[in-house]
Amino acid sequence: MKISGSQAVLESLLQENVEVIFGYPGGAIMPVYDALYDYTNDGRIKHVLVRHEQGAGHAAEGYGRMTGNPGVCLVTSGPGATNLVTAIADAMMDSVPMVCISGQVHSGVIGTDAFQEADVIGITAPVTKWNYQITKASEIPEVMAKAFHIARTGRPGPVLIDITKDAQFEMMDFSYPEDISLQSYQPTTEPHQRQIEIAARYLNNAERPLILVGQGVQIAKAQKELQAFLEKGDFPAAFTLHGLSALHSGHPLHVGFLGMHGNYAPNMLSNKADAVLAIGMRFDDRVTGRLSDYLNDATVIHIDIDPAELNKNVPADVPIVADAKIALQSLTKAIRKNTHTNWIREFKKLYEVEKKQVIDGVTHPKTGEITMAEAVTLLSELTKGEAVVVSDVGQHQMVTARYYRFSRPNSWISSGGMGTMGFGLPAAMGAKFARPDQEVISISGDGGIQMNIQEFTTLAQEQLPVKVIILNNGFLGMVRQWQQLFFEKRYSMVNIQSPDFVTVAKGCGLEADRVVARIDLKKALQKMLDHNGPYVLEIKVEQEENVFPMIPTGSSVDEVRLA
Amino acid sequence: MKQRYTITAIAENKPGVLYRIADLLLRRKINIESLTVSEIEHKGMSRFTIVVDAERDLVEKIGKQLYRIIEMTKVIESTDDELVPREIALIKVTAKTKEKREEIEQLVRLSKGRIIHIDKNYLVAEITGDEKEIDKLDELLQPFGIKEIVRSGRIAVFK
Ligand SMILES: Cc1ncc(C[n+]2csc(CCOP(=O)(O)OP(=O)(O)O)c2C)c(N)n1
Repeated sequence: MKISGSQAVLESLLQENVEVIFGYPGGAIMPVYDALYDYTNDGRIKHVLVRHEQGAGHAAEGYGRMTGNPGVCLVTSGPGATNLVTAIADAMMDSVPMVCISGQVHSGVIGTDAFQEADVIGITAPVTKWNYQITKASEIPEVMAKAFHIARTGRPGPVLIDITKDAQFEMMDFSYPEDISLQSYQPTTEPHQRQIEIAARYLNNAERPLILVGQGVQIAKAQKELQAFLEKGDFPAAFTLHGLSALHSGHPLHVGFLGMHGNYAPNMLSNKADAVLAIGMRFDDRVTGRLSDYLNDATVIHIDIDPAELNKNVPADVPIVADAKIALQSLTKAIRKNTHTNWIREFKKLYEVEKKQVIDGVTHPKTGEITMAEAVTLLSELTKGEAVVVSDVGQHQMVTARYYRFSRPNSWISSGGMGTMGFGLPAAMGAKFARPDQEVISISGDGGIQMNIQEFTTLAQEQLPVKVIILNNGFLGMVRQWQQLFFEKRYSMVNIQSPDFVTVAKGCGLEADRVVARIDLKKALQKMLDHNGPYVLEIKVEQEENVFPMIPTGSSVDEVRLA
Repeated sequence: MKQRYTITAIAENKPGVLYRIADLLLRRKINIESLTVSEIEHKGMSRFTIVVDAERDLVEKIGKQLYRIIEMTKVIESTDDELVPREIALIKVTAKTKEKREEIEQLVRLSKGRIIHIDKNYLVAEITGDEKEIDKLDELLQPFGIKEIVRSGRIAVFK
């Protein structure tokens, strides 16, 4: 039986077990939307109409991050596709699986500057793991299968399929490839056993071992393996922004958050370690500080599924190309049971220093305005660290990373590599579709929320019970902090006016509330959590709170400042 | 220290590969000295021969990043002493008199080139060789007045 290219696109999505897609219609994708009419009516596919294609992209990212299966976006040509580009680049940087489908003008007019034509393949080539333009309906099943395979395997990433309008109309015979094997693309997942043995020897002999945990551990769903490994070797573990929820924040071997606004102990002690094992992390400059003074005394073992990451920034004495889960299993077998009591005590000691000088003051202030740290700490207590937390970008992001105590694996989503403002709200939406059974809370600043605030209406239309917290400090806070510390307090263009968020939220059809005074904070948060449906809570916070510790750009990690 | 490297990249012959290779080099601000592409002995596969002048460390990193291109199957970075390189050049040189013509023909012949087109005002010489041999003929013909010279860029096989 012949079906249209458009139907073939949707049949392919069914074959890939796609339940929900995020999109926005337009001329060049109308045939697919027309076909979608039947698939949504009988419930085979759920389509979420976002209010801006960037929102579709971040929602797909939230979904992809939660499930490991690609989030799917459907957009029209030209502006529809270009609006998606920021989210695609964000997914690329953070290795998020995503499949984007864009409509394209009729193949006969490509290259003529036709209405709403954009060179989407050219524009997205640098920010996709793979992309492809389909001009014949018969190509659809194979290309779709390939797209999903590439997006979710190896180092995951975004893939874009651009389909001309004529290919959407064309009739074809549909049959979906059973499994896909690409001659050239064969990610290595099994570690080299010899390398594992060398790594184990270094770890066994180390007096001051340190494990650096990145997002790769969660992508590989290796949280259990990580914990078993750490406990057998009695290794302290420090976490990148994305790695944070790979181990319960309260675990005695969790020694904190790495990098620019991370914890004092792991930053100070990185350079004292004699053996460092980095897993599924890419030594981003926000983590390493000044490279020339980083890990100079340590033997570095680096595990990553992407060979191009090894030796990219930090030379590895033992490079291991592998899936983190398989590598951790092998390594756990290879190491001996051990203890590092004194070394771990050093982390505890420095934690106490940070607690006294930084943490206590901001998490439990007695006077003044509500602080971000206090709001996040309270939220963490009220939710027992069990919520899925999605942040935007800015001070509130670093504060959330620092003070929310994650108790569930893969429960923290943030834009790390790109640092995209406007990410939080739509990504939380996507996460909620992926985990309807879990509490999903988005935390944004007053600046970032305004970058994709239109998605309030999407939440309302879907009655999607995401809880949105806006930490309003009246400033583009993170930029203001830098201006305060490094630009002589010249506050250039960081004083941002906001709409009345409660009125806006209500105008969009959401329940909303605002809290200003400390004594009302707990009640307001509880009311938000108890509410059965989407909810916006604006919390007015101290205007000029700073996030410390901080490693100034260009400094070494052990030059971390406490104030 | 910068040095000349030849990156040989073998990839499936699919649209977009060249774009991604060029983009990767662009991001690292590496100037491409020459780039040639053609099909190879395996059907459906293309061989890219890319000559760059860059630091060893950077070339190695690029080599690994090229594998991120889905269609890529093999990348090898080599220095000149590991290769048998070849290039072709077409040189159009002014030749208005019989004496000049003879002189040019002789130079070309001695350089292991040949004349492939004759006009009353000019000759076209073809030469294949390594870069040095081509430079040499170019130099020898300069005094006659070169109207056009076009070089193919390097192709190479491994020693
Ligand atoms: C799209 C985008 N534009 C600009 C920036 C630069 N930037 C980083 S943090 C920040 C301030 C964020 O302010 P706000 O959302 O109010 O959060 P706060 O830092 O106050 O918590 C800015 C402008 C960015 N990260 N993303």
